[in-house]
Amino acid sequence: MSARIAVVLFPGTNSEDETLRLLRDCGGDAELVHWSRPAELRDFDAYVLPGGFAYEDRIRAGAIAAHDPAMDEVIAGAQRGKLVLGICNGAQILLEAGLVPGTAPARRPTAAFTHNGPIPHFVCRHVYVKLAIDPSRCAITRALSPAAIIPAWTANGEGRLAATPEHLDEIAGGGHLAFVYAHADGRVDARANPNESARGCAGLVNREGNVLALMPHPERDAWNFNHLDRPAGADPLTPSGGAELFRSFVAAVRA
Amino acid sequence: MVDQRSAPGVALRDDEVRRIRERLGREPSIVELHAFDAQWSEHCSYKSSRHHLKRLPTQGPDVVLGPGEDSGIVHLGEHGGRRYGVVVAHESHNHPSQVVPFEGAATGIGGIVRDVLCMGAEVIAVADPLRFGRVEHPESHQRYVARSAVDGIAAYGNAIGVPNLAGDAYFDEGFDDNCLVNVVALGIVAEDEIVHSFAPENAAGWDLLLVGKATDPSGFGGASFSSLSLDAADEQANKGAVQVPDPFLKNVLMRATYRVFAALRERGIVPGFKDLGAGGIMGCSAELAASGGYGADINLDEVNVAVEGMAPEVIAVGETQERLLWALPPDVTPAVVRIYNEEFTLPQVAFNARATIVGRITEEKKYVLRHRGRIVMDVDVDFLTGAIRDELPYQPAEGFAPAEAARPRADLGAEALPLLERVLAHRDVCSREPLYRRYDAVVRGATVIPRGYADAGVLAPVRGSRLGVALAVAGNPRCGRLDPRRAAELAVATAACRVAAVGARPAGLTDCLNFGNPRNPAQYGEFVAAVDGLARAAGELGLAFVSGNVSLYNESESGKAIPASAIVACIGTIGDVARTITPGFKRPGAPIFLLGNRAPERGGSAIAELLGIDDAVPAPSYAALRAELALLRRASEEGIVAACTAIAGGGALVAVAKTAFAAHRAGRRLGVTLDQPCGFHEAPGFVLEVADEARFAALARECGAVARRAGAVAEMPCIAAGGERREVDELMDCWSRPLEEIYP
Amino acid sequence: MRPAAAAIGLRIPDNAAYTALVTLRRLGIAVERLERNEIWVFDDDGDPATLASRVEANETVFNPNKHRLALLESTAPRAGEAWIGELDAHDEVREHLGGKGIEGIRRARRYVAWRLFDRHGSPAARETVAAAVNRLLCNPAIEEAIF
Repeated sequence: MSARIAVVLFPGTNSEDETLRLLRDCGGDAELVHWSRPAELRDFDAYVLPGGFAYEDRIRAGAIAAHDPAMDEVIAGAQRGKLVLGICNGAQILLEAGLVPGTAPARRPTAAFTHNGPIPHFVCRHVYVKLAIDPSRCAITRALSPAAIIPAWTANGEGRLAATPEHLDEIAGGGHLAFVYAHADGRVDARANPNESARGCAGLVNREGNVLALMPHPERDAWNFNHLDRPAGADPLTPSGGAELFRSFVAAVRA
Repeated sequence: MVDQRSAPGVALRDDEVRRIRERLGREPSIVELHAFDAQWSEHCSYKSSRHHLKRLPTQGPDVVLGPGEDSGIVHLGEHGGRRYGVVVAHESHNHPSQVVPFEGAATGIGGIVRDVLCMGAEVIAVADPLRFGRVEHPESHQRYVARSAVDGIAAYGNAIGVPNLAGDAYFDEGFDDNCLVNVVALGIVAEDEIVHSFAPENAAGWDLLLVGKATDPSGFGGASFSSLSLDAADEQANKGAVQVPDPFLKNVLMRATYRVFAALRERGIVPGFKDLGAGGIMGCSAELAASGGYGADINLDEVNVAVEGMAPEVIAVGETQERLLWALPPDVTPAVVRIYNEEFTLPQVAFNARATIVGRITEEKKYVLRHRGRIVMDVDVDFLTGAIRDELPYQPAEGFAPAEAARPRADLGAEALPLLERVLAHRDVCSREPLYRRYDAVVRGATVIPRGYADAGVLAPVRGSRLGVALAVAGNPRCGRLDPRRAAELAVATAACRVAAVGARPAGLTDCLNFGNPRNPAQYGEFVAAVDGLARAAGELGLAFVSGNVSLYNESESGKAIPASAIVACIGTIGDVARTITPGFKRPGAPIFLLGNRAPERGGSAIAELLGIDDAVPAPSYAALRAELALLRRASEEGIVAACTAIAGGGALVAVAKTAFAAHRAGRRLGVTLDQPCGFHEAPGFVLEVADEARFAALARECGAVARRAGAVAEMPCIAAGGERREVDELMDCWSRPLEEIYP
Repeated sequence: MRPAAAAIGLRIPDNAAYTALVTLRRLGIAVERLERNEIWVFDDDGDPATLASRVEANETVFNPNKHRLALLESTAPRAGEAWIGELDAHDEVREHLGGKGIEGIRRARRYVAWRLFDRHGSPAARETVAAAVNRLLCNPAIEEAIF
């Protein structure tokens, strides 16, 4: 019996198709579960929250979705150790739901991915992210090499990590800073950071290591045909690049 | 004009009202007046343009569906035993964007996406060819329009999750009072699953199911508004005619509709489906019925509304966004309603959004609207939707020909490199990245080449298949000002070359003809000339127009019209995306070739403006172009084209520079050594890096194409020509900066 | 230089307010009706009598199709109302108000205002507002609430 992954669709989600496809191409048994059928989520072993504008970002990005009945199931599952991956808007939902960094009670956010700096508008840009933690600190990243550089695209207007100085220290000190922006060669500096995200943060993990919130989209640079520097003769449909993170996730779900 | 006291806002002419009165045998009702006003507006009826558009080629082996429905369809290829088509539509939203640019441009994207969706297609891309006025002054209306229109396009496309694949922008004083916001959308559909915009056979008695946003009073008068010249005095009224976009609702509507497609296909039901645009419920339902040979009977009381007490003409003709209309067998309707209202919770997504039956298709070919128990419209449906024609006089347009024969050639050879920085920084040549980085270029994960990385964007839209789709746009307004016919020809040629430059096969075209006042014989003559140009070029290149749009009355209060603007989009197909020509020079030492770009005329070019040269617009050499396209096709199929850039804005030297920039972007810090003159004249052609020189030469001979070796890729990151050198980094800086000020 | 406040609300259905209301009720917070406005607090140099029309002339901030504007008596939240502002807000007029700004306005600060009403139609009690703010309307990592 294989472990089943639910890709949770809220009204306004827009990246579910490629997220689902990549999970399957990486060997995952994944299905789309609609917001109008939250009880179904109980039967799944892991959850992925894809990108988009759930509930139109009403009030704040992720704020309404965090209170959706579907998130009741995801929070309960996460508290029981199920793996949860949130990408872009999915990451924002995880922060609003308090699952990440998870240092406060549920639905009491201590951080947010908020409007980009220096200028608060939507930016679509190719990026690289690298681990700022040991891969084993997070079940989802366990199969990655410590030096892994994951290609992705940032495509959002609100991708900058912000929190009070105390909470930022807690994030750094508690090993919650999972991914940072980097250059293709792995160098980390301000120029690699597309939106002035605090601590160069591209992703956060909770204390237990089962919930990962990642702002950029690895699933958009995930097949050979997506890579602009693909070698001639490479099979275009083979997953690679951003797919490495998904492979690691699927492996962890099946473990 | 209609007496404004009885029907304010109706722009019908006296002779049109007389026709209606005669045909009805009575005075038309207010609702009928508004209905005819919308249906017979230029925007809906194409009354001044349709007979000229007949000259455009619309058929060919790649055409699955030509113009006539909401979108056209180009054959893509086969996968898994099924044939797939690329659905494409091209529209304008010019007047609304000039007045309320954010909403005007956003609703443009909303509308074009619906046009593709309603053919049964999954929406896969959008493109935005834009023309703005002078934006130098930060507080100018032009700068505000240029910024907000882009923001609106971004807000809409990003929210619904459709990547921006192509587009362009020109900035010219001719657009100071009349911007152009053209939009293109692409979809993918299996050819045996196409859904048509007409009610099918045996549909008499079928339900008309209205789906989407609650009809509201804003935006009343849109079609009519788009068919009049903008007059500043009516500013508030004009603003009121621009609709409110709701991309969030559209996101849910699209997904719900995909589910409905699947459900109908499972049951083998062939429906009619059309999106609401100009003319609102009336325009959509009348056309859905009439084009199937039916009439319709609709009860306006059944329409889901946002506020009570709206006048029937507002309900019937108002252009509330995000609405679709199905014609369905009555036993199927409940399942469809359930998908929209329950599974996708439309009423919770937006106030009173829902699927609701508003009427039915009738055998009798009358178009009837009811309201509060009374009949408020009752006309012959063919009279309402039938083609009308305004035969207007026109003055044949002349192309500019310079007085003196001798023209200085300072832009070739040794003087070229020092001019390159200025040309690269020219507002129509410089990088558009500051603009398009606000667009999501990669949502859906199907992007092979994102917008801006090469001459065309490329997608692999069929899951599990290597089939690729390419898209590019073209249309230089400075050429349009000088020679409307040649400018239109060049738009076709350049769009096709851009698609070919990524290794795709040009397979179909769309056009939007943006012109001035058809009642001004000189301006109308420009339109006629442009149609001639489009027809000529498409015919010579063996391409067909599968969809298009006409936007007239783009003139300001003073009667000044925009530069003739025929804007063309070209759809290309790729059999295997592994064969896509990726951007940027690849290998130091590899030979660089030039194809085409022979005609020396510089009319409309960036260099002509910089040096103050008056010249004619170059005429495409079709025989040579056909040979060059054939050569590029065969060479790229054999995998010997390592890099390719189409020659357009800024000419061959800029094309060389851009290919070097693309290499740098990919981490290959290469340069170029040129040993032949590469100038700035903008006649169509290509710059290529070739991987097998001997084989390329042989193919060139076979295709009858002339390829000139121009130099070689260099290891040093410099461009060297005529004894001069420039660092690629510095050139890239000149090119990247200018639009940062407009789009920080 | 005078402080002045304007509330800009929607004339068309306010889906954000509706969704917030539904969510607050699901959380067990006793709110019957919810009004959302954008609050602009200005330092105004111009004639107070023309402030409304000067603001309405700014297309970035006011769209006559969608919005209605009311000038407020004070630059503080009303009964039953919470103003949510960004923690790192700038006062840069140009950034907020688009290229043209607003004539006479030197500084502008933006808030989102939520006004809660109980089932008697009265402004909600302070505890109710506090509960709504703490559980949904404000994320203290990036926002502050004034009520």
